[in-house]
Amino acid sequence: MGVPYVPVIGLVGTDLLARRDDMVVAPDPFGSGLKSVVARAMRPDVAVFHAQCADRAGNVSFGYHVEAVMLAEASAQVVVTVEEIVDRVTEKTADGAFLPSILVDAVVHAPFGAHPGGLTGRYPVDRDAMRAYAAAAQSDETFAAWLDEQVFGVEDHDDYVERFVPDAICGSGR
Amino acid sequence: MSVNHLDSRGYNDDELMAVLLSREVRDGEISACGALSQLPATGLLLAKHTHAPDAELIILNTVFRPFHTSRQFHFLAQRGELGLFFVSGVQIDRRGNYNLHQLGEDPDHPTMRFPGGYGGGMIYYCARRTVVFRTEHTRRSLVEHCDFVSAAGATPPDVLRLGGPSKVVTPKATLGFDAVAGELRLESVHPGHTRDEVRANTGFDLGDTSTVPDTGAPTSEELRVLRTVVRPLMIETGTYARWAERAIAAG
Repeated sequence: MGVPYVPVIGLVGTDLLARRDDMVVAPDPFGSGLKSVVARAMRPDVAVFHAQCADRAGNVSFGYHVEAVMLAEASAQVVVTVEEIVDRVTEKTADGAFLPSILVDAVVHAPFGAHPGGLTGRYPVDRDAMRAYAAAAQSDETFAAWLDEQVFGVEDHDDYVERFVPDAICGSGR
Repeated sequence: MSVNHLDSRGYNDDELMAVLLSREVRDGEISACGALSQLPATGLLLAKHTHAPDAELIILNTVFRPFHTSRQFHFLAQRGELGLFFVSGVQIDRRGNYNLHQLGEDPDHPTMRFPGGYGGGMIYYCARRTVVFRTEHTRRSLVEHCDFVSAAGATPPDVLRLGGPSKVVTPKATLGFDAVAGELRLESVHPGHTRDEVRANTGFDLGDTSTVPDTGAPTSEELRVLRTVVRPLMIETGTYARWAERAIAAG
């Protein structure tokens, strides 16, 4: 949208609002006498998405409907990782949400890049990996160990897929 | 998981709640429920096939949704076009606040975290009526004060608000929201339960309940449509199909 802030109906009286410093209650500047929440615009430096496919120009087909276009529009830089690089993606051939190349700064070929999440139509959520993550997230120590193993301890994406994406999921994605 | 058995009343709690939720749907209105909402989804479809044939339904993440994006749903609600919304909360308090975020007295050190309420802190203020449902009626689910308020039942009169809480439906009772007092009141007690039992299992004082009536039991027609029309429809359309198979008796 490009505007500095927007009014929002709701949130007044919640602990959610009490804990945010980017939302305030403000009067209607047009004099209705009613107040509503006003939220400061979010302008992320970088947005990263994972999608089904993209072409080399950066046109992206998500493969399902997702609220990504707005986030891409708001972000200064947009990086999209994809299962597949294809010859050409257009709004007509895209499946689900379509992100035009003008909004995209970089496309990265990263098969199984949604793991341990799933990707609609390709492969399911890796429930065992999710459970392990949830268990590790219970304390700073176990979470640090999880990061060391799964994030900092891999050479690159291929190494990650080789070591952590189970055959059952690789198989269902091919 | 095992199939729900009918109890001595001739139906089970899931069927009862689906019927009670269906009665909140008004013909011609737009009514909606969010994700992971099998009971309201069932209630919406039951209403459509009984008293509200011209109700427009939005059942998120199923074939019964007119939009691809949640933005369209949000904006519809903000325009004041959403008549009824169904939501649940881990805690619901006397003032009609609900909690979908976290448990524990210290908000910085919660004892348990939940996914949070996507959009609930806005839909509760936009839908003309919201019916809060809860499958557990205990002192830990119906509380004096929510540990964390995800959406507020009442707001000051100078705050822009299009609608608010209408009722709370549990397996034991229905509570109505008194908008003037800003408090929940016991409205009716379901068949097979007593006022004393409801009071004992509610974490806030319900006041004088001596004149509170019984909830009208599901009629044979409601149960017939639920079991012979809605159940197969949910199974065919993949609308909480496995839940429907298990929870609703076969017709």
